[in-house]
Amino acid sequence: MMEQAAKTYKANRPRLNLSDYDIIVVGGGHAGVEAALAVVRMGRSAAIVTMDAGKLALMSCNPAIGGIGKSQLVKEIDALGGLMAQAIDATGIQFRRLNLSRGPAVWSTRAQADRIAYTDYIAEFCSRQKNLDVIEALGGEILTENDRVAGIRTEKGKIISSRAVVVATGTFLGGLIHIGAKKTKAGRMGEPAAYKLSDSLRSLGFELGRLKTGTPPRLNGETIDWSRCEVQLGEVPIPFFSHSSPGREFDQTPCHLTCTSSRTKEIISENFHRSPIFSGQIKSTGPRYCPSIEDKFYRFADKPRHQIFLEPEGNGTNEIYPNGFATGLPEEVQKAAIRTVIGLEEVELTKLGYAIEYDYCPAYQVGPSLETRRLRGLFFAGQINGTSGYEEAGAQGLMAGINAVLYINKEEPFVLDRSEAYTGVMIDDLVTRSTTEPYRMFTSRAEYRLALREDNARDRLFGHAVRLGLINKESFDRFYRLQAETQKEIALLDETRVRISDLQEIKHRFKKRGTITLADLLKQPGIGVREILPLLAAHNGRFSNDREILERAAIRIRYQGYIDKQEREIEKFRKSEAESVPDSFDYRSLTGLKREAKEKFTRFRPRSLGQAGRIEGVTPGDVAVLSVHLRKYKALRS
Amino acid sequence: MCRKNRSSDDDTIVAIITPPGEGGIAAVRLAGRHSRYYLKKFFVHTRESVPLKPFVMHYGSFVSAAGETIDEITAVYMPKGKSYTGLEQVEVFCHGGRQIVRLILQELVNAGARPAEPGEFTRLAFLNGNIDLAKAEAVAEIIAADTEHSYQASREHLLGAYSRHIEQLREDLVNVAAEVEAGIDFGEEEIELAPGIKLKQMIDHLIDRVKELADSYRGGRIIREGFKVVIGGRANAGKSSLFNLLLRQERALVNPFPGTTRDYLSEWIDLEGFAVNLIDTAGLRTGGGTVEKAGRAHAHRLIRDSDLLVWMIDLSRKNYRVNLQKDLPALPKCPILLVGNKIDLLLKNRKQFKINIEGVMPLSCTTGRGIGLLKKELVRRIEANMPDITSGLVVTSLRHKQKLHMALRNLKQARTKVAYSESLELAAFDLRQAISALDEITGRIYTEEVLGKIFSRFCVGK
Ligand SMILES: Cc1cc2nc3c(=O)[nH]c(=O)nc-3n(C[C@H](O)[C@H](O)[C@H](O)COP(=O)(O)OP(=O)(O)OC[C@H]3O[C@@H](n4cnc5c(N)ncnc54)[C@H](O)[C@@H]3O)c2cc1C
Ligand SMILES: Nc1nc2c(ncn2[C@@H]2O[C@H](COP(=O)(O)OP(=O)(O)OP(=O)(O)O)[C@@H](O)[C@H]2O)c(=O)[nH]1
Ligand SMILES: [Mg+2]
Repeated sequence: MMEQAAKTYKANRPRLNLSDYDIIVVGGGHAGVEAALAVVRMGRSAAIVTMDAGKLALMSCNPAIGGIGKSQLVKEIDALGGLMAQAIDATGIQFRRLNLSRGPAVWSTRAQADRIAYTDYIAEFCSRQKNLDVIEALGGEILTENDRVAGIRTEKGKIISSRAVVVATGTFLGGLIHIGAKKTKAGRMGEPAAYKLSDSLRSLGFELGRLKTGTPPRLNGETIDWSRCEVQLGEVPIPFFSHSSPGREFDQTPCHLTCTSSRTKEIISENFHRSPIFSGQIKSTGPRYCPSIEDKFYRFADKPRHQIFLEPEGNGTNEIYPNGFATGLPEEVQKAAIRTVIGLEEVELTKLGYAIEYDYCPAYQVGPSLETRRLRGLFFAGQINGTSGYEEAGAQGLMAGINAVLYINKEEPFVLDRSEAYTGVMIDDLVTRSTTEPYRMFTSRAEYRLALREDNARDRLFGHAVRLGLINKESFDRFYRLQAETQKEIALLDETRVRISDLQEIKHRFKKRGTITLADLLKQPGIGVREILPLLAAHNGRFSNDREILERAAIRIRYQGYIDKQEREIEKFRKSEAESVPDSFDYRSLTGLKREAKEKFTRFRPRSLGQAGRIEGVTPGDVAVLSVHLRKYKALRS
Repeated sequence: MCRKNRSSDDDTIVAIITPPGEGGIAAVRLAGRHSRYYLKKFFVHTRESVPLKPFVMHYGSFVSAAGETIDEITAVYMPKGKSYTGLEQVEVFCHGGRQIVRLILQELVNAGARPAEPGEFTRLAFLNGNIDLAKAEAVAEIIAADTEHSYQASREHLLGAYSRHIEQLREDLVNVAAEVEAGIDFGEEEIELAPGIKLKQMIDHLIDRVKELADSYRGGRIIREGFKVVIGGRANAGKSSLFNLLLRQERALVNPFPGTTRDYLSEWIDLEGFAVNLIDTAGLRTGGGTVEKAGRAHAHRLIRDSDLLVWMIDLSRKNYRVNLQKDLPALPKCPILLVGNKIDLLLKNRKQFKINIEGVMPLSCTTGRGIGLLKKELVRRIEANMPDITSGLVVTSLRHKQKLHMALRNLKQARTKVAYSESLELAAFDLRQAISALDEITGRIYTEEVLGKIFSRFCVGK
């Protein structure tokens, strides 16, 4: 199957612009694939140079897409023409929405994937793209010409030229796997690491850092006592991700829930010293939000047990992913410990868990377009920027791909701001603060969270997508109609009154008697479309029977007041974003600025006063000083 | 450089740097290239021809362009690079009368110095690398935002304690927010969140504390602007007479016809070291022309903003008690001191001098009888209202007060929402707004902090 997906490098392809390709993407992971697809969508040619062409967008760890904060990214990728949402819709085996007990702004779709079907789908999709080649090789060196990127040299010495390069190499740069005291050079278990490319980046002057992450062992499902675990079913109707998915009907595969026992805690605690993290063998930091099981028992010593989710790796396999049991402990400890988990007493491991350390490029070295500051035409996307997660990688890949095209087209870069998209929040966070742990999206990172929702990703981004040529006209027209109908529905809900005495359980919430508009009713906690459906039935035919339109209307009604309230803030935010700081600004010569602030500004080189203020450790006073100097500077210039 | 109003490097700027009101000494600061020149222009040494030496107090007089001696002053000159602003700088100390400093300022401005913009000295100090930024930030954020007053030492101390207090408040607020945010971002995980009731209590507690702080603004304002006493009462009660008596000068018109004072008059007096802003208002009288009506509306507003209303009663009028019963309930809410005036007439007419209304201070503006006691009572009232400076719990800036009120409103909105899981994200919105409001006082970045709290408190992550 590897051979089947791999295409060979076409030496006889017509050489436009004297380069083999417009853009080369090194690394065919989640970031790389979205980058390359964005490039061809915008009419440019691309090659994905990747280690193993049979593993395009392979899920290294958890066989799932989406989740809280991440699903919003997936919907944004979808609205900008990306593939992730469609791929998971086509190959997912269980879908549900998390946080349904909260408000709709934080509802988040999550799907269990069939890992293999997912990567096959992606490979098949890529193979159908006219301007896209997938080349199986290891990128070893970034080539430059006149201070611009000119292509790459593979580890075997082959030169492939291009006008821009996107590096999306994931956990493979300088990858080192730890299982207990045992260390192996690898990018993922069983796959080689990429050391040459790290050296190349270093010699170009990039600063590399080390980060760490981990994965649990995999289990043989046939050896699990399912009767002792709690079942978790998918949601019906199936909440698909993509606005353009045809939808399909299938029996969703259940997940299971279990937990560790008191014995688990004992075994793990006795073996703390054998974990590569506690023994000092791993010095880099891992994510606090995705702790290994040893980390959990160590840091929360008073918590007797932890939940473990048992997630299928696919339909054609019995392999199970025990979510919550990542570990870098030695083999025998892993085996002993996992067998103390309820239901796993007899379990057999199919793969061992491990911790992995890898190189990343602290993202102050890229600008908001993800182009590196050091080398024009070179873009970084995904894990290399210090993030973790497929969705985070995918969104960056898409943005890097778009910006690489804009770069060769000599057009303005495409930057989303914090008030527009989670993608914007993420990239802004990356380029304005040092990474101390792998960066993962959370809804709480978005200050305009109520306005950045799953349901309105298209409202927020379709305009950009059309302008950039990322979606077709039909999609846009269809959406335009949807928007108009939503508006109509909002007006209807606003003017239709119902009697409070008809409101069953919630009527006690209202002091007054009489009537209330449906819109006001929808602003009540816990009142959504489902709750008002019976009331709508009484108005036979007046309201839309399209559930999506009703949902959209209800959500907008719920948040409008809040979003209006935030408008002024957003305006203020945009204004300070618009106060540009020249890239060449010499901070060292500025009087009145303390040394730390000078260093921070020099390092992160903020594009705007707004961004300057978000740099960690920078105080409002620093920004005030900067703004005074800036005004002085601009006055002198004008 | 094209915009006007922009400070040019050639400007010499000038401002009064002591708080308004009567004080022992007031100071005027000049900063910029020509500071010394301006001083020399007006300064006449007591001893002849002593050269201006840096950092030496020179004693002499300030003589106006017209040749009048305005005041005896001391002056100090600081060379470039060695002053607060980093520029050549001169400070002139004169006697504290408001009129005197104003005149001095006026002379300097007439001669070409530019009145400093709010915060400009501090900004210059930043620019010339002269103050440590941690301090500068406090100065810039808190002082410069409002006034240019630098009552340094005690105030810096005040600032320290004050910002620590706000920080603490903010910290507790972030803790509540972290709890709510954890419920959103990790709502599907097995974490022990505080129940809605508990959150509600935590927010209630925060509301009390923010409110207390916001309320301290009154005290803070008294420190900054002086104690505001409004003299009110019916027409012809003798308000202006009291005003003048306290001022010991014929500043306001005194006229036997009712309705003389239509506008209000404001002056400053020093009562045992406290700066008191004394305000004489238009008399309360039904009817009258539109000018009078407007004056009365204004009086109402003044009373509302005052720290104390001295309500004058003309005891020589037969129906004063009836009037009082009518007047008092119609007044805006504020502390009131009742003064019964014209007791000389009662004594003269041999009516038995007896006031049956409790707490009315007897007074005769004509003879001055009772004025001593009245002043004592005023001082007592001021002291009771003075905030405890050492506790640091004083909001002195109007901007801060507004931010605190904003935080308060947001907290109140969050209060009911935390109880429902379906509106947690809305509660989070309100809490975030409350934190932003405090952040505009202190300046911080919130998200990372909240995540930090979540990770240290909950075991999250699969
Ligand atoms: C052990 C482990 C545990 C993880 N745990 C989690 C987790 O719990 N939660 C989470 O959100 N994320 C986790 N991740 C991270 C997640 O897998 C990545 O964030 C995501 O896959 C990053 O996407 P990417 O596109 O940047 O890189 P990857 O998906 O890693 O893809 C990189 C691709 O580049 C190729 N490549 C690398 N170097 C070269 C080269 N020099 N030349 C050619 N090709 C090259 C590789 O073969 C690979 O196909 C984990 C990853 C690992 C390895
Ligand atoms: N006998 C006597 N007359 C007084 C006393 N105080 C004020 N008067 C007289 O009362 C009249 C009114 O005094 P004002 O001080 O102008 O009264 P006012 O309250 O300011 O009056 P309006 O400004 O018109 O409202 C004047 O003729 C004063 O001389 C007092 O204590 N005794
Ligand atoms: Mg008067």
